[in-house]
Amino acid sequence: MLKFKNTKTMRRPMQMLMLAGALFALTWSGSPARAEDEPSAAPEEPCLGCHGTAGMEKTLKDGSVLKLHVPGEAFAKSVHGANGCQSCHTDIDPAAHPPSTKDIASTRAYSIAASEACKGCHQDKVDEWKSSIHGILIANGNVRAPVCSDCHNPHAVMKGAAAQVENVACKNCHGEIYNAYLGSVHGKSRLASKESYAPLCSGCHTAHAVQPTFGDAPRAACTGCHADVLDQHKTWLPNAALHFEAVSCPACHVPNAKRKVDLMLIDQNDKAAGTKQIGVPLFEASLKSGGKGIDARTLWNLLQTLNNEDATEKTKLRGLLTVQNAPDAHRLAHKDQAISDCRTCHSKGSEAFQSVSISLVGPDGRRVGYGANADVLNSPMSLGAVKGFYAVGGTRIAALDILFILAVLGGASVGIGHLVLGWILRRYGLANGHKHGSDATGGSASA
Amino acid sequence: MPRIYIHPLPVRIWHWVNAAGFVVMILTAIQIRYVGLIDVISFRTAVLVHNYTGLVLIANFFVWLGFYLFSDRIRAYLPEINPRKHFIGSFRQMYFYGYGIFKGEPNPFHLSIYRKFNPLQSMTYQVVLMLLVPIQFYTGLLMWDAKHFASQIDFFGGIRVIDTVHVLIFCALVFYLLVHVYLGTLGHTRLAHFKAMFSGYEDVEEEEAPAVTAAATGPHPTSERPRNPVTAA
Repeated sequence: MLKFKNTKTMRRPMQMLMLAGALFALTWSGSPARAEDEPSAAPEEPCLGCHGTAGMEKTLKDGSVLKLHVPGEAFAKSVHGANGCQSCHTDIDPAAHPPSTKDIASTRAYSIAASEACKGCHQDKVDEWKSSIHGILIANGNVRAPVCSDCHNPHAVMKGAAAQVENVACKNCHGEIYNAYLGSVHGKSRLASKESYAPLCSGCHTAHAVQPTFGDAPRAACTGCHADVLDQHKTWLPNAALHFEAVSCPACHVPNAKRKVDLMLIDQNDKAAGTKQIGVPLFEASLKSGGKGIDARTLWNLLQTLNNEDATEKTKLRGLLTVQNAPDAHRLAHKDQAISDCRTCHSKGSEAFQSVSISLVGPDGRRVGYGANADVLNSPMSLGAVKGFYAVGGTRIAALDILFILAVLGGASVGIGHLVLGWILRRYGLANGHKHGSDATGGSASA
Repeated sequence: MPRIYIHPLPVRIWHWVNAAGFVVMILTAIQIRYVGLIDVISFRTAVLVHNYTGLVLIANFFVWLGFYLFSDRIRAYLPEINPRKHFIGSFRQMYFYGYGIFKGEPNPFHLSIYRKFNPLQSMTYQVVLMLLVPIQFYTGLLMWDAKHFASQIDFFGGIRVIDTVHVLIFCALVFYLLVHVYLGTLGHTRLAHFKAMFSGYEDVEEEEAPAVTAAATGPHPTSERPRNPVTAA
């Protein structure tokens, strides 16, 4: 039911009369007001006769309060001001409005339903949104994901407003990430100058077709602007192309971030590198049975199970050295501060390899991460499981170190043993004192 | 003491470039693999030196291969296809190194231009030069530009598999090198074989009495004339 906070005021006969007169005048004036070059300070929308009143709201069935107030001046200045109310609110019959009762379950349900109106003019954007992680979440019943009106206040949307760093709507839900971004080289540039062309959120994630950050997508966003970055790295970084495949940009360009290795379970023929949902039930079952994270043997067994004879698509793990959390991924520093000391990752026991996750694509397209023991990276079992990720030195297999020591000791002991044997034989009179041996016919030659 | 020209110049150049190169490869490999534990030079420098030295060694390998492919001296590398002969020769050589050498017994193997390796050497060099070293070069090449060779790396099971093979052969070559150097000291003097590898001439003593049959040890030096014999007293 409609409720006015200033009900006492509204009961005053004189003011009611004035309001009725204003409504009549506005209705009589014919077509809705059009905010052209100079938006009207007093919009001529009849609806605003009621909805322009501050505090107008309605309590819905679930107890939530739907705000019905539309600031008239802001609306008139907005890009929608010229369209009039009914261009979006097509379901409203002015003759029968307000209805005594309207079945609105919740404010969220109203917002989701009302966003359908955007299709009338912005079909392409709505289609992009529907393909995005936000749209998919909504379609899957997640009411917390944003719809159009969560990012664009339909009654106050201004052209170019979203391009201002202070106004990006993403911060409403992703505040921690937004704050991290503000401290980044990109955010600082934006804050310092309105003319900066450093990316806002949408610069990397797009505004409407936002996809889960998985696989190569984040790097593609970086190289979208930094196109020659691979060539730049090739000037000093050995195997630069391999680094680009196995190391995310923030892993080096956010120097203070905590790093981890994310082992992405992918179909080996999946060119998109990780967009198919595979293996989730198995990993769920494995976690429930263990609870301490997946160890090397379990991981190997899981991959064996996934790739059994009946498997139509072979599955493999693709490793990516990245940062542990999303805010860190956005704290990109100036390139002069980026990590360039190879020992950060290539020394045994480095911090980067102490945290390992195994990620799968979940039902809604987002990654589902499972903790794994760090030994999955340096166990001999990793030869069968983690074939595609290896950092020389950093994730070396300890058993091979033992083999190397044995090779050195064994090689040295051949000569030492031979000398000792000769000494013993001479000591006990079993040899005739040839200290150097007697290669009388020159029977030993090098290759 | 008579001498026989056993190591032609291309072989000597190849050998010492190979020797120096492998020492560099092993040292830089240790630095690369154990960075943090050993920090003599930077990781990046070690990788670059390792890579470029590896490329030099690959080119050098083809010097060796080319020389022997286009020389009749390749007969030195032809394997003994009779297992019985090979086994007997190997056993006698092991006996010699393990005991006979201390007793002053003559080496059962007789050196010639076309037969310069005893059975143990022959087997070892075939494994090392025709199997381990080529695989080592190949796996190293794959890792040198892993992205470029990604399809081949995937074919063999991934970068970790390639690296593990590389490290296994590294261990084998470290063992081989240590033993090789020690055996090199078992000439009639400690440095005889090393000097020969510089001069090309190996000292050979006049034979008093053959210790083993020619079948087991190869032809006598004088029983087989090289096409271009170069000997010196």
